[in-house]
This record gives sequence, structure tokens and C-alpha cells, in this order.
Amino acid sequence: MSLPAELPYRHGKPLLPSLMARLRRVNVYTFIVTSVFALLALPLIATLFYALATRWGASLTPDALTVKWFLELWTTPRFLAAFGRSLLVAVGALALSLLLIVPVVFLANTRYPRLDSVMNGLILLPFAVPPIVSSVGLLQLYAGGPLAIVGTPWILIPTYFTIVLPFMYRALANSLRALDVASLMEAAQLLGASPLKAFFLVVLPNIRVGIQIAVFLAFSFLAGEFVFANMLVGTRFETLQVYLNNIRGASGHFTSALVITLFVFTLILTWLGNHQPAEQEMPADDPDEAQATAMTDGLPGPVPSADPEPRHTTHQSSDSAPRGDR
Amino acid sequence: MLAIDTATTFDSQSAGGLLTSALRERAADQHYLKLNGLAKSFGKTQVFAEIEAEIARGEFITLLGPSGCGKSTLLRAIAGLNDVDAGQIIVDGHDITSLPPQRRGIGMVFQHYALFPNMRVAENVAFGLRMKKVRTEERERRVSEVLRLVELTDQAQRFPHQLSGGQRQRVALARALVVEPQILLLDEPLSALDARIRRHLRDQIRDIQKSLGLTTLFVTHDQEEALLLSDRIFLMHQGRILQQGNAESLYTRPVDATAAGFMGHYNLIGRELARPLLGYESDSPRVALRPEALYLQPDTSPQGQQDEYANFPTQPLPDNAGPGCPGVIRRHQLLGNIVRYEVDCQGLRLNVDVLNRSARQLLPRHLRVMLHADLDEVQALGGNETAATSQVSHG
Repeated sequence: MSLPAELPYRHGKPLLPSLMARLRRVNVYTFIVTSVFALLALPLIATLFYALATRWGASLTPDALTVKWFLELWTTPRFLAAFGRSLLVAVGALALSLLLIVPVVFLANTRYPRLDSVMNGLILLPFAVPPIVSSVGLLQLYAGGPLAIVGTPWILIPTYFTIVLPFMYRALANSLRALDVASLMEAAQLLGASPLKAFFLVVLPNIRVGIQIAVFLAFSFLAGEFVFANMLVGTRFETLQVYLNNIRGASGHFTSALVITLFVFTLILTWLGNHQPAEQEMPADDPDEAQATAMTDGLPGPVPSADPEPRHTTHQSSDSAPRGDR
Repeated sequence: MLAIDTATTFDSQSAGGLLTSALRERAADQHYLKLNGLAKSFGKTQVFAEIEAEIARGEFITLLGPSGCGKSTLLRAIAGLNDVDAGQIIVDGHDITSLPPQRRGIGMVFQHYALFPNMRVAENVAFGLRMKKVRTEERERRVSEVLRLVELTDQAQRFPHQLSGGQRQRVALARALVVEPQILLLDEPLSALDARIRRHLRDQIRDIQKSLGLTTLFVTHDQEEALLLSDRIFLMHQGRILQQGNAESLYTRPVDATAAGFMGHYNLIGRELARPLLGYESDSPRVALRPEALYLQPDTSPQGQQDEYANFPTQPLPDNAGPGCPGVIRRHQLLGNIVRYEVDCQGLRLNVDVLNRSARQLLPRHLRVMLHADLDEVQALGGNETAATSQVSHG
């Protein structure tokens, strides 16, 4: 620990206070962030080590490390089948939600503003009603009548739809709100696009990032869903979480490996969901004063950033056009 | 088919390809756009009613009025973005009242640009042509031509968020122009821009409109913009067209107190109070006088403060000047090249504009002066308002 040499002479008791000040200044935020992170990560790290340990009994640290639990898990057909089922149900539910929610969000934010407030109330319901309660209701609803799908895996798709509705709706509504959709639709229509074309060419590409985030968020959530899967279908359609529950009596190392696998899988998905949009963002350079001045003088504005070269090409046709006559 | 294509391509080799074709089409069609008794209400609120107008091809019309007067809704109705409850919109002899916006052949520029964020400048501009299924080469040629027209060739590959406000609005303008609309609508296109860019773009819009001979409707609440740009101004108030005419007639001959209140900074004076200033009693209940039609002179009567008049700004009186009305300077506002004095003239508070020639000529508060009106510029106003009050209007 090296401090400036003159400090001890200038102050009476300089060393300790200045050190503390320094610690306080540097570490207040780091401290909070680190401790929160540690709090969240510690159980996970412990699980990871347990999954990697040959034996972890009386000692403070594992006896030895091994990947045999992971290898065993990844080669168990029952695990792979459960994993596949979880994926299938989640993807099905997400497809259904996108199909239903995107049009609703769009209409609520353009033509029927009142629908938005109705939806905002509606999307709280899945939070307000405990899963146990709603699963009993769902059992009743789907036990008979035209849609007798209790006990079949199909029941999970509409059920999961209700779970992801809040995430999806909010994420999509936010990205639409940031867009001023109404004006964009109007502009596109005045340029000759039908409403449907305007939606697909102008609105959808602009909320793609929002859709991505919503989908990945919802997917990670669904991959870990247990209550509904267990209550509504149970052992007849073993999803990942149901499988985890069923083998809880078996080796703890084995189940730990499962948890870590699921976590890493979700982590990758979340990372994909958050990372992809960042990549598409263009280098944002504020329209600076110099440019504006040049414009008023009727001069072509200077190029503010290093290079406005396109990183990717969306439409080859219009892309090459103005380049030719430069 | 081929022959026509070659002809258009050939003719558009020059930078003004767009221009000449439009100029050729320009006929003396006085009724190019007709609005017949348009009316619209939202629930019980009437937005506009009894809108009658005939607009010639190539005319630049400004809808001027305070916010909430229905001018934007009227513009949107013409574009097809709002429906109307009654009346017809006729363009070039065709009734377009019930057509959807995409089939009206109308271009529009919005106040907040409404550029497509996912598309580059060139793609934004090409959008309308893509919708019309214009062939790729033709499309590229027209896009680059119109980008040159708005001086944005270098920005073609940028995204809207990389541009300044003025540049964005020029992209929006290019996007509307490239499809060669029958009518161009501009909904307060300059309001979101800062003063310098606004002036520049204002002139640019006027130049392009003139050279293309494009029938244009421009909505604004800024009377200066309206006066500078328009062939004719439609002054709107509470959903009706209050007065229409060219800039000069609107500015110098307001039809009533409301029009006078919105244009310039008219002094509205009741009949009795105006009498000492005019020297006669007006027939109408109210008269309106622009601040620049009032003249200040030193007060030569015994009450005058002779030693204070050394630096008095000399103003030759007009030929038909009214009798002097003694007054006292209450305060002044510096408007740049103009000093606006508020003069108390026997209970009347009047705005008087004097050219700001020199700081030494500023008249101090409480100075006694003589006030003369240019009687040729006195506007007699009708209206049934009680004429007993005087009012200084701030347009």
C-alpha cells in the first residue's frame, strides 16, 4: 500500500483517514454490487462444485473433481427426452403467444388505446393468482367440454401462454411506445403501402429487438417451470423440472449437474437475447453543431463519425444506388 | 413501354429531370384541389366545419391558426388519415373523399419526421417507389436525384438516428417528393427545428416547391412562416376559415378583431377611444391599427419636455396623418431591429413600433410625446363586440 509521501507530514493523523476515504470512495458501489452478486452466485457456485465433486462429505472442500456426473447426465435418455419435451412445450407456447400477443399489442397501441389499459390489468392476473389455484381452475376448464386436454401435454401450451403473457405484452408494448407507431403507419400508408404491408415492412422490423428480448426472457422462464407441468400433466409427460423432481432421491451430484446444465443453457439463451440487439445498433453520433452550421451555409455536412459504411446489408437494391453517383 | 421509359430516363439526365416533367404538366388549372363543405367532429367537439376552398395547381397554401383551430386535422383529412363527416375533397376532378390514404397520391411531411428507423436514408426515400413496384434501376436513379435535390447525397447510407433534425426533415421531404405526389402536405415541418435550421429549410422548401410547381398545403402557427412562404394564406379560427388571401391582404386588411389579433400586433381600439387619435368618429365599432402605422413626435405643447427631445428619432409624418394625440411612454420592448413602445394616450394603451436606429434614440419612460396615426392604414372592423374597451393585442 503506497501513499503519496507528503501526506503524513501535512496532517496530524493522515494515514488512516485518507486510506478510509479512499476505500469509501472506491468501494461503495463495488461493495454493493459484489455482495449482491455473491449472494446470488454463491449457491450456484456451491452447486457447480457439488456437480463436479467425486465426493463432498465431511470436509470443507470436495475430495476431488470430476466431470463424470455431467457425462452420465448427458447420456441418460430419460434426461434428453425430458429436455426435448421442455423445449417443445416452451417453443409451442412462445409461438402461440407471439401469434396472439403481437397483433393485440399493436392494435392496443394504435387503434384502440382503451384496449391497452384493459390489457394492463389483465396481465397482472397471472401474478395475482397463485399457480396452484390457477392450475386447479385449468384442470376444471380442460377436463371436459370441447377441449378435454387434461393429462395431455397440449394443456401446457395454453397454460404457458398465460404465464408469458405479462412478459411478452410489456416488452412489446414498451418497444412499440418508443417507436411512435401511429405516425410510422401513417407515413408508410401515404407512400402507398397497405396497412398490412406497412406493419410487416415498417413496424415489425423495428420491434424485432423487443420481440427477441421478450421471447428469450419468456423462454428462460418456461424452461424452469415446474408447478403447472407437475399438476397438469405430471409423470405422463415428464418435462425437465418434473424429471428433476422425480430423481431428487437419486445422487445429489447427478441432480446438481442437471441444475447447472439447465442454468448454463438459460444463461446462453439470455445472453443471446440481450447480446444480439446490441450488435445491431449503429454507432450513434449526435448531430453536432458543426454539421448544423455547415447545413445552414448550404455546404454538405461533414461526416461526423469515422465511417458510415454499412455493417450489414438489408436491401441490396437501394444500398448500391446512391453510391454510384458520388 | 420501352420507348416511354427511355424518354423519361433521357429527360431526367439533367439534375432537374423531376422539375421539367412537372413544369410541363403545369397547367393553369385553377380548381386543382377543391374542398367542398368539409366538416368533422369528434363526439360533440366540432373540429372544423364549412371548409370551402379552391386551390390552383402549383399554389402554395398555408393553413395558419392557433393550436387547436383544426388546421392539422383538416390536413390529415385531406391526406385520408382522418375521415370527414361531410363534404368532398376533389383533386383534379376526381372525388378522393372515400379513398384510403395509400391511393390518394398525396405526399405528407410530419412535424416529427416519421422516418423509418430500420431503414437507411436511401431506403426510406425508396420506400414509396418500392410500393409502386418501380424497377430497381429507375428507383435508384430517382432516389439519387431527389437526394441531390435536398442536398443529402452524402448521407444516403446513414440511418435516421445518425442525422440532425434538419437533415431528417429533408429526408422526409425527399421521401414524400420522390413518388411525385399530386399534392404535398406539410404538417408543421419546421416546428421541431431550431431557428437557423428552420430558416434554411424554409427557403429550401419554398425553392423546391416553386421549381417543381407542386401544389402544397402547409400548416403552421407561425405567422412569419406563413407570410414568407405562401401564395395564399387561409387563416383558421375555431374550425373555420376566417380569412383567405395573399400575405399582404391578410397582414394589412384583417377582416375582424380575431384576424387582427392573430396577424401582426394590431392595436384594437373602440370607436369612442379612437376619436382623439383619428380626429373623427369611425362608423364601425372598432378600428385596428398596426404598431408601425403609428408615429411618435416630440410634444410641442406647453406640457412638452423640450430639453428631452434632443435625440428624438425623426420620423417624417405620412401625408394623411391624424391629429396629434398627447401621450406618455410607459415602457419599451426591444425586438431587435424594432423598438416597441407602449404609449399611454388618454387612457388608451397603444403599441408603437419605431425602427431601432441607435441606442441613443431610445425614449425614456414617462416622456411626453405626440402620437399620430396614419389614417390610410386604419382598418375599420365590424363585429358585435362591445366597443367601449381598448385592448392591446399580442398576436
